[in-house]
Amino acid sequence: QSAGELKISHQFPGGTATEGDFRDRLCRRFSAEIGKRTNGALRGTVYPGSSLMKTNAQFSSVRKGALDMTLVPLSYAGGEVPETNIGLMPGIVTNYDQAVSWKKAEVGKALANILADKGVLIVSWIWQAGGVASRTVPIVNPEDAKGLKVRGGSREMDMVLKAAGSTVLTLPSNEIYAAMQTGALDAAMTSSTSLISFRLEEVAKALTTGRGKTYWFMFEPLLISRTVFEKLPKAQQDVIMAVGAEMEAFALEGAKADDQAVAAVYQKAGGKAYDLNDAAVKKWQAIARDTAWKDFAGKNESCARILKLAEATL
Amino acid sequence: MSHGFELEGAVKAPEIPEGGILEGINRLMQGLHTAIMFLSSIALLLASLILCSSVFLRYFLKIPTDWQDEMSVFLLVGATFMCAGYVQSQRGHIGIEAVASLLPPLVNRLRLVFCDLVSFLFCSFFSWKSMLLLHEAWVDGQTTSSSWAPPLWIPYGFMTTGMTLLSLQILLQLLAGIVRKEK
Amino acid sequence: MAESTIGMLYGLGTLIVMFSGIPIAFALGTIAVLFMLVFMPAAATDTITQNVFEEMANITLLSIPLFILKGAAIGRSRAGADLYLAIHAWMHKIPGGLGIANVFACALFAAMAGSSPATCSAIGGAGIPEMRSRGYSPGFAAGIIAAGGTLGILLPPSITMILFAVAAEQSLGRLFLAGIGPGLLLVALFAGYAVFRFKVEYNSALDVWHSGGAKSAYLDEMKMTRADKTRMLPRVIPFVLLLIGVMAALYGGYATPSETAGLGGILALALIAGIYGVWRPAQLKPILNSTLKESTMLMFIIGMSLLYSYVMSYLHISQGAAEWIVAMHLSKWLLLAAILLFVVVLGFFLPPVSIILMTAPIILPPLKDAGFDLIWFGIVMTVVMEMGLIHPPVGLNIFVIKNVAPDIPLKDIVWGVMPFLGLMFLAVLLLCLFPGIATWLPDLVMGVAS
Ligand code: NA
Ligand code: NA
Repeated sequence: QSAGELKISHQFPGGTATEGDFRDRLCRRFSAEIGKRTNGALRGTVYPGSSLMKTNAQFSSVRKGALDMTLVPLSYAGGEVPETNIGLMPGIVTNYDQAVSWKKAEVGKALANILADKGVLIVSWIWQAGGVASRTVPIVNPEDAKGLKVRGGSREMDMVLKAAGSTVLTLPSNEIYAAMQTGALDAAMTSSTSLISFRLEEVAKALTTGRGKTYWFMFEPLLISRTVFEKLPKAQQDVIMAVGAEMEAFALEGAKADDQAVAAVYQKAGGKAYDLNDAAVKKWQAIARDTAWKDFAGKNESCARILKLAEATL
Repeated sequence: MSHGFELEGAVKAPEIPEGGILEGINRLMQGLHTAIMFLSSIALLLASLILCSSVFLRYFLKIPTDWQDEMSVFLLVGATFMCAGYVQSQRGHIGIEAVASLLPPLVNRLRLVFCDLVSFLFCSFFSWKSMLLLHEAWVDGQTTSSSWAPPLWIPYGFMTTGMTLLSLQILLQLLAGIVRKEK
Repeated sequence: MAESTIGMLYGLGTLIVMFSGIPIAFALGTIAVLFMLVFMPAAATDTITQNVFEEMANITLLSIPLFILKGAAIGRSRAGADLYLAIHAWMHKIPGGLGIANVFACALFAAMAGSSPATCSAIGGAGIPEMRSRGYSPGFAAGIIAAGGTLGILLPPSITMILFAVAAEQSLGRLFLAGIGPGLLLVALFAGYAVFRFKVEYNSALDVWHSGGAKSAYLDEMKMTRADKTRMLPRVIPFVLLLIGVMAALYGGYATPSETAGLGGILALALIAGIYGVWRPAQLKPILNSTLKESTMLMFIIGMSLLYSYVMSYLHISQGAAEWIVAMHLSKWLLLAAILLFVVVLGFFLPPVSIILMTAPIILPPLKDAGFDLIWFGIVMTVVMEMGLIHPPVGLNIFVIKNVAPDIPLKDIVWGVMPFLGLMFLAVLLLCLFPGIATWLPDLVMGVAS
């Protein structure tokens, strides 16, 4: 309500500025920093764990100006803005260096423009690798996924998995644990940080990590509503964008640390961690190119263009 | 039914006065509710069957089941919204009637009219906002972000229709309440 | 305006709107929209429909109608009546035997369903009329089912525990196991109370009769030979088959939790079709109608309470209150007491799912710092939230009872559940004195937490 308050909503577990999920910590640091630099004229309030609104309502609320900011996997907006599906396109990003290059590359600019047209501005470019938790055999190569019941978690990943011969199923993320415990589910894919908070190591013994390189990268930016942003004085706008950019290094460090941490968690629980090599990533990429990429490019001209620009960063 | 304690229907008196326009509209609404309840029953059964079949398809035939959950959700959400008007016609949306016995009859009648008026205002507001959402989903061609990716105007359409019917049903009861009072 | 002032206005406004008699769902929505219009940006009301839709279009929550269908199929066909007849035949010698049977039935159903209202409805549909026809007072019968139904979220699987585990970053498996001990404790307390209350009601019925009054159904002797009793046994088979079928599908790894809900509904319908010949549309109609009616009522309350909690969250009311408690720097046990009291107050208005989402991020860190085991706290909080489910003004289980037994006045239901609230409070005290009730089993199965 107070003039200078920015409400930041996200779906991840809440903690403090120094402890917990790095995505929550990032929001808290961001809030503290903008408060400091504007001498308290601007302050952020973080609502973790979907405690303000439903996860899927966040993006459109930001669009409409009902929510100020959100840190959200961009592909969640895929039904609303088809181009955002590029944010979780298997094999289109294979390492952190490439991911970081997007912001300044043509694809980044094109994506930012599309979002700006829809009323959303990117404050921080945040990327995260993910992995696969499996209760039976590790899923390293596409052949390993054949015949397994896998939750891909997105339309694009499901397409790749189906092509690899998996029996894909959908279920809400909060049911993964129970389904894996009973064996209704063999494997699930998600970000390293979420793999840690879901505690699947208690029911899954094999982990494929995103350390080094992987076909599973997710873009989950910190976003601000354009209507909210444009109402702020120029000086405050500059602070938001500057602090947002500074947070990117913190995010990168946090994401990489979790890729390592999740491996340690599985090893400690008596499981085993596997890494992907170049050849394996190429195999997944080849399948994705024929399925998910094609499907995406076929949606409309704008998507086809985004894909082309994204491929240029490979 | 086996047990004698279910006095369903026994507590409610005929709400809509007989004769006149209100009765005609009421008949029309009742017909509509009956048809909706029939279709919703089918939706409920269908949702259950789809969930069952997905167990069979995936576990025994190893066929991916990536649309069944969402399909059942839409059937159930659709049924929920569409039935709201019927439930209201039965006064099945439960409220706290604790003060009813404390008030003199006239004041209590006014209270009931007030309750219906507030309910009507809220539900029409919600219907209007649903309509805007439906329009937006239609114009933008929005879908869900799942593998199946069905268009969102379908469930939003059920929400809008259901809430509108609910509002009309409350309006009917509200008018009946006012008419009854003037007698 | 200060957060606390707005918070008090919000609470007061809610009480007024609710006690005016406006249906709970619309009352929650109305107060939320009013506060949005006054205190929130204009765009806020543009998101209400999408928020409610997202809340409802969720397979975890939508398993509630399917659980209700399963319950209605049993409760509204001869299957339910036969089951109770059989249980009664075997347990009528035990004082309060039928009441105990109902508590057990609730616990068994709770082990199949993750939600409390669904448990309540499934067992209450058949249980309440059966108990009343055997003389139990309406309040007593309603109390047993309302309280027994709350076990739905304490015995695994549980929707709210899933949310708690994610918010608290605790092991879900450990949390589920921790719920079993306290769940059984509550079953024992409820069953014990059923025996006591039965004796009281039986004796007063006896007094009335001896002094020339009406003869209560309590006093009807059941004359049954052993052969009669044995003939009753097969009537339990449908229920046992259903239980085994659902359990096997879930724990055998065939079905996901939400698929299990659909499977249960279909299995229940198939059983009553096969055994009781209930399959014609005219026979199925009352089952399907009551399922739709009840789940629509419940889903509307749950959906609209999302709006209500959205406003509370946006205006920082619940968070502000929680932060205020934390800022008092109370000693360990006072902090716990204050937080639990806060959860009780929230439980007046909100269903458990909303309470966890809003408060967990704020109350958990200080509790952890104070040295509480968060698994243990998750269980204590669940029991306290269970109390909210049978506590007015918003108590989902009470509304379910009101729906399955519309002729019982709300007042009788509320008085009927009061003793059970006391028992739950006792359970919370016992959990504080003997944390092992919750932590013993998970420690045994999964090893002592590091
Ligand atoms: Na349960
Ligand atoms: Na309550």
